[in-house]
Amino acid sequence: MRLQPRQQLLELWEAAARVSCRDGSWSWGGRDGSNSISDAEQLLCFMYPASELSGFRLDTPDETADDVLAALARLGDSVEIPKLLLKVIGDYLRTYTAEDGRPVFSGGGYFRTADEDVTPTAEQLRLDVVDSFSMSVTLMLGTLGFLKVFRQSVRRESIRREIRELEDLASRRLSAAMVGLLRSFTVNAFDPGSPQGLTLLRQVNQTGAPDRRVLDELRRALRPVRARLRDLTIGSGSQVDLDNDNLLFECGWTWGIVKDAPDVATPLPIGPQPKGVAADVPLLYFTVNALVGIADLFSERTRVLGLLDDEQLTLAQAIQRRWDLTQHYWRTVAMSGRGAWPLEDIPWQTTDERESDYFSLGVSAMVIQSLVSNRSSDVDLDRVAGVLEELAVRARITRRAIPGDPSVLLHSPGLPVRLLGGEELGPDLVWIVSDFAVKLLKRTIWAASIARNTGTRERLLTLADHVWRHISRRRFIDGPSAGLWDQPGNVFPDVEARHEEPSWYMTERVVEILVSAAYAGAETPLSSPELVDLAMQMLGEAEHLLDRELVTRPLVAGQTVQPKLRGVQAALQRARAILGDRPATALALIQDALLDLERLAAARDSATEAM
Amino acid sequence: MLVFAISDKGGTGRSVTAMNVVYRHALQGNDACYLDYDLGSPTAGAIFGIGAAARGAREGGLHEYLRGYRAEPLRLDVWAESDREALRARPPGSGRLVLLPGSEGGGELSSVDEEVVRRCAQLFGRLDEEFDLCVVDLSAGRSFTAELVLQATARLAHVPFRWLVFHRWTRQHIIAADGLVTGADGLLDVAARFGHDPDELRDRIRFVRTAVLEPGAAELAGLRDEQRAWLSTCDDELRELARRHGVGRTAMLGRIPLDPVLQWREQLISDEDVLASKIANAETAAAFDDLARKIVDDSAWEGL
Repeated sequence: MRLQPRQQLLELWEAAARVSCRDGSWSWGGRDGSNSISDAEQLLCFMYPASELSGFRLDTPDETADDVLAALARLGDSVEIPKLLLKVIGDYLRTYTAEDGRPVFSGGGYFRTADEDVTPTAEQLRLDVVDSFSMSVTLMLGTLGFLKVFRQSVRRESIRREIRELEDLASRRLSAAMVGLLRSFTVNAFDPGSPQGLTLLRQVNQTGAPDRRVLDELRRALRPVRARLRDLTIGSGSQVDLDNDNLLFECGWTWGIVKDAPDVATPLPIGPQPKGVAADVPLLYFTVNALVGIADLFSERTRVLGLLDDEQLTLAQAIQRRWDLTQHYWRTVAMSGRGAWPLEDIPWQTTDERESDYFSLGVSAMVIQSLVSNRSSDVDLDRVAGVLEELAVRARITRRAIPGDPSVLLHSPGLPVRLLGGEELGPDLVWIVSDFAVKLLKRTIWAASIARNTGTRERLLTLADHVWRHISRRRFIDGPSAGLWDQPGNVFPDVEARHEEPSWYMTERVVEILVSAAYAGAETPLSSPELVDLAMQMLGEAEHLLDRELVTRPLVAGQTVQPKLRGVQAALQRARAILGDRPATALALIQDALLDLERLAAARDSATEAM
Repeated sequence: MLVFAISDKGGTGRSVTAMNVVYRHALQGNDACYLDYDLGSPTAGAIFGIGAAARGAREGGLHEYLRGYRAEPLRLDVWAESDREALRARPPGSGRLVLLPGSEGGGELSSVDEEVVRRCAQLFGRLDEEFDLCVVDLSAGRSFTAELVLQATARLAHVPFRWLVFHRWTRQHIIAADGLVTGADGLLDVAARFGHDPDELRDRIRFVRTAVLEPGAAELAGLRDEQRAWLSTCDDELRELARRHGVGRTAMLGRIPLDPVLQWREQLISDEDVLASKIANAETAAAFDDLARKIVDDSAWEGL
């Protein structure tokens, strides 16, 4: 089943509009109730495609596409939709601002405890979460861009005032999210002989080499990261002693604001900075999620629209440095050694000795991201493709699950991630992560988009199609949430839970996939140099034959060139124009022209023979 | 409510659309009248199917009234005077439908003097009290008639009025429609000279697209795929152009599809034309109906 991003996105919008706009008013919250993350995810289902894809823009009522309007008919017409979005975004921003003006990033209903019967305390529910920071960065950048463009279509003063107010609120929330990200970054240093150190060494050492040598190599490979981590000044993670070269370390994001994280000094009006409780160790899931949101901070769109002010740019730079380092660190660890990569040793084991396929997927995400920026060879990509394929098999996405299959637990209910430090305020907190399939597809599409080798690309695209088939089957088929996600019971007979309400968590992630697939589709197709060469040579022959045809043909007065030759001429001109971008299309044109020329030549030959 | 219908270029289908809107408005149960201020070519009678006034009234037309030769302009009750069978009987529940024709051989105004403005304002004031909707059809382009009604409405502070600018969905028409409103000596410019507030007037102006060939229309079924691909790209470009010229969707009140009946013979499209003889498209009638509703609906004029 092929991904058809535009059509799928429109269908999804129609369903999301139906669920969000019941009885003429907006309704928040899905399966896990309303909280700062879920509501952001719900909004992003609309805002993300609208701000990323030009065909889905909602900010210029005069240019909204007709099929988009038809899909969103329930929200109103081209003028009412942006007005409704203004209202809903305003609701969101005001709901998640505390009385003291501090933007709130609480996890609410997404927090669970290790024991199903115990509910988290109210204090725990109010804790800020990295997922919310990351989601907010994406949502606020989308919102600011939307407001900036929409303002140009507005003449009424009352709406303009509301836009200015929202810009202010959104910008404040963006600053607060960035500060939050700076205060939840963590560097964890440990002795090579400690349990953590041993786990890391075991993971890195895939060839049975002497531990000493592996340790030395790892230290050497990580030296640039270590040196730059030492230069970090603001936020958390800057107080760790990295001068001791003997220590190993890991870096990334924990689940919330680090306990005792220092305040970030900034003139931005973000209110008091809350105290954190999170343990000072990076968690893979949150690290990967933070990286995704952060990438939007320095995307082309953010720069072109000038969405950040000077103070925010300073924060963004500090975050970008952490982004680079984290990426670099995990890439180095995942691809170190001379034999098999640690990444290929599935499942990945974290330094706190937990292992899951999910962690392997998270690390692959960072590896692919670094391959994107390095433009490295397809050989590496091919190995990553192998990892992704195996993960799909192991997670029972491309294979059927047997009764009692433990892999199904990864999708429903999901992988529980312990939120260390949260227990200070009540029972043990966990975070349920159930987006394995969606994340896998996202990485696959991403990897396919940078593959230069046709074989690797085909391999990844085939995998993407398989995973998409799995995901699309998990959509609600009937009921009020039809068209949205997630109903894992559709594909896994073992899963008994049948849901009524949509999960914005999953739906938003599907939207992200569709958007990245639409992106990939808009790029110029892969063209191989051999094909260009071949087309060039054939074009040479065709043009030569055409010239000869024009020379040998007797010129009849009043008639310059036969219509057929004129057609051939035009086709060859067009072929020359597109040859660089689309050599295969050019080839088809040239072949057609060659055939036409050949028929003329054959006719002449047969006339000569008969003489 | 006074509604002025204007277009920059001729042949936009301004008159036939305006008349159909008046007709639909009457069918919706309101009293509606149509003033043929296209003084250079008074042809409203023909479209309503009133043979006696096909090229303007022989006696008592609007010219004669404005010039002071008559105390009252001639009024024709379309339900009674039309030659078209479908229009002859006033459908139950519908309102009055009255035509004020121009004078046969009348000619454009060559200047506007105080007396003409006074008489014009008086007429508008009277008709507004009597009818729910009065559509005043002006000649194409900048004209003395347009100046006249701007002066008249400047004096009628209590009478609500709106402007509809008709244009076809082509490059030249889009640019021209914008020019007619915002260009030098355009509506806003002239209106400001006569004491209107340009910002306020802007909110009272909306555009109507006529003879629109929708990319998804049934008429396009016979086109080749290449033509359709080309058309769709052209449409996107026009949309972009329209936005730049302030003629985009937000400033648009209605969109009338291309209809063979309107192309070959300008006439009112009755429900019979759609349902019984099926010569006209249902979409066209629906578009007129929609426009007739929106023209008086404040929420449709709210804008951004």
